[in-house]
Amino acid sequence: MDSKDPDAAIVSLLTQHQPAIHLYIESLLPGDRAAEDVAQEANSIIWEKRSEFELGTNFKAWAFSIARFQVRKYRFKQAKESRFVFCEELEEVIAEEMADTLEGISDHHLALRECLRKLKPADRDLIYHRYFKKTPLSDYGEKIGRSVGGLKVTLHRVRNRLQTCIEKRLAWQKGLGA
Amino acid sequence: MSQDQWETLVDELLDGVISEADFLRLEAQMRVDPKLRRRYYARLKLENGLRVEAERLGDSRVEPVIPLWRKHAIGLSAVASVALLIAIGVSGWKFGRVTGQDSVLNVEPSAAGFAVLSDYSEAEWDDGVRLDRGDLLPGGALRLNSGVAQLELFSGVTVILEGESEFELHSPMEMTVTKGRIRALVPPAAKGFKVNTATGEVVDLGTEFALDVTSERAEMHVIEGEIEWHPNASDVRSLTDGQSLSWTVEGEFTATGFSSNTFPRLEDFERKFLGQRQARKEAWESASEIMAGDSRLIAYFPMNLEDASSRQLLDGSGSGFHGTIVSARKAADRWDESGRALSFSPAGSRVRVSVPGVHRSMTFYCWARIDSLDRMYNSLFLTDGHDLHEPHWQIMSDGRLFFSVKKRESWPKDPDKHITYSTSFWDPSMSGKWFQIATVYDVDAQTTTHYVNGKAIGRDRISDEFIVDTVRVGAASIGNWNEPTRNDPTFSLRNLNGAIDEFAIFGDALSGEEIAELYEKGRP
Repeated sequence: MDSKDPDAAIVSLLTQHQPAIHLYIESLLPGDRAAEDVAQEANSIIWEKRSEFELGTNFKAWAFSIARFQVRKYRFKQAKESRFVFCEELEEVIAEEMADTLEGISDHHLALRECLRKLKPADRDLIYHRYFKKTPLSDYGEKIGRSVGGLKVTLHRVRNRLQTCIEKRLAWQKGLGA
Repeated sequence: MSQDQWETLVDELLDGVISEADFLRLEAQMRVDPKLRRRYYARLKLENGLRVEAERLGDSRVEPVIPLWRKHAIGLSAVASVALLIAIGVSGWKFGRVTGQDSVLNVEPSAAGFAVLSDYSEAEWDDGVRLDRGDLLPGGALRLNSGVAQLELFSGVTVILEGESEFELHSPMEMTVTKGRIRALVPPAAKGFKVNTATGEVVDLGTEFALDVTSERAEMHVIEGEIEWHPNASDVRSLTDGQSLSWTVEGEFTATGFSSNTFPRLEDFERKFLGQRQARKEAWESASEIMAGDSRLIAYFPMNLEDASSRQLLDGSGSGFHGTIVSARKAADRWDESGRALSFSPAGSRVRVSVPGVHRSMTFYCWARIDSLDRMYNSLFLTDGHDLHEPHWQIMSDGRLFFSVKKRESWPKDPDKHITYSTSFWDPSMSGKWFQIATVYDVDAQTTTHYVNGKAIGRDRISDEFIVDTVRVGAASIGNWNEPTRNDPTFSLRNLNGAIDEFAIFGDALSGEEIAELYEKGRP
């Protein structure tokens, strides 16, 4: 890393770790749409505090500690009206384990992309509506003449299928010794 | 419960539809079941990946083009957010020339242009064109002689020009390149972005591509995604990632593959831009040390607020005239470095200073970012109240600089001072931009001269009747005005809506050359 330009180094590290930071925060705020805002907030704090970071040390650990603090701060602000929150003990475990499972996110994305291609058109359409158009399942169900319950089950199965496919691909790549 | 049932609960949790009872059950199980936790992490990754992927899938849905994964592609949105981060503190949007700004207030300001110069490194423009970061690109053909320039088109397209190039923007979705190397990053929202060349036109289908254009040929490389090539006298071809095409005016072509890592990554450009900014800042820091040692200097506030809690603003001149910060907040300086400027936008903001003594000629100098001039008077530096022989320095709502030194008590219908106005230098299209502003009160030459960015923009001769050769400052405010009637809780809003990252007072008249030199050395 170019020690003459620490800001550029931080930009590069921050960029490189964006997916991990986002995922890490999402793991602690499951199903909460504010996770995105908390991640942005964490980014600006990381940037503000960049002078405290020593180049060459573990950026991820440092960034995660800031992210974790931002999650707590957000929780604190939300206080009682908050959604369901994991108990502290479990959160501790998740924070730790999650930090370890965030290697190879780009491989994961690559695999996912391949797996999406293999979906049946109808399933891909469901994913499109769920994740891109963010259509409520009820509206989509009405449009294609299916019940919400049925769609939920399908969605769950499609996710499972993708999951299995990704795992296979990743294992296969590993087997190639890549 | 079976593994699958637990996973259903995980899905419900991530969808935000889980019931409280199920949540508690899931939580209890997750505490003791590492396998379930691993499923949870895997599901999170999947959800996250799907959200990212759906955007692409959604946009090329008819015939899903699924380009090769390139590691830094995932970083693109991150680069954007980092760029945003860096811009934190520079609020206010920068738009082009505002038309009809002198007319009635209820006319909505408008501006003309298709893009801003978002960053550059050693960029030299032809025809003496000078563009700063955040400037709106002027219309017509433009020529970059050397360096690197990054444009942000209002459609969301990012274009990077490298080295000698000639181009013209026709709209946020169309440009002509007659010569040069460009890199374009086209987000889904700007699909259909078009680049005309002498040999044909490139129509983008949502991608990142590089072009090398001369009057004889066009060479294109698709780094990611897909483009269409519409040659002047031949059929349309489409290119996907990893493909290159070179096409001559005569219609001869060669198609090849290429390795994407022969192209610099967007992060490399970003690093370059940052590096240039840093280098300029460092150069200014050495120059400002020399300025701080200038014997004519009365007070100098570089506004480097190292200590977050301190409300004291250190005088860098060595005179010890430290200021006191009231209400003003830390902001980013003109190099976008946070905590190195003061924003005077919060109501009541000011820096209180006290400058003793009697002076002859004086020079007031600062670097200021103006977000708006929505008060009648927008303060730069004003002495308390309005007493004899005291200077007032401010900006009028129409963008003119104002400077006066009070000569006598006001008589009915008779002016108490000579006010020197500059021509107007600011309109809302310049909101958020930094300016070097200086005003020289020269008693010997009997003139007041206003400067913006090193150039004189107004000079008045002060008659014997109004010249003051014993200027006093005393108690004063940077960025606001303290009114004479102190026990009245109401106060006029005159604080500058913007920020200042450097402020100096000299006890002498600086020459126009000196001001220009300070500008050249200090511009970001």
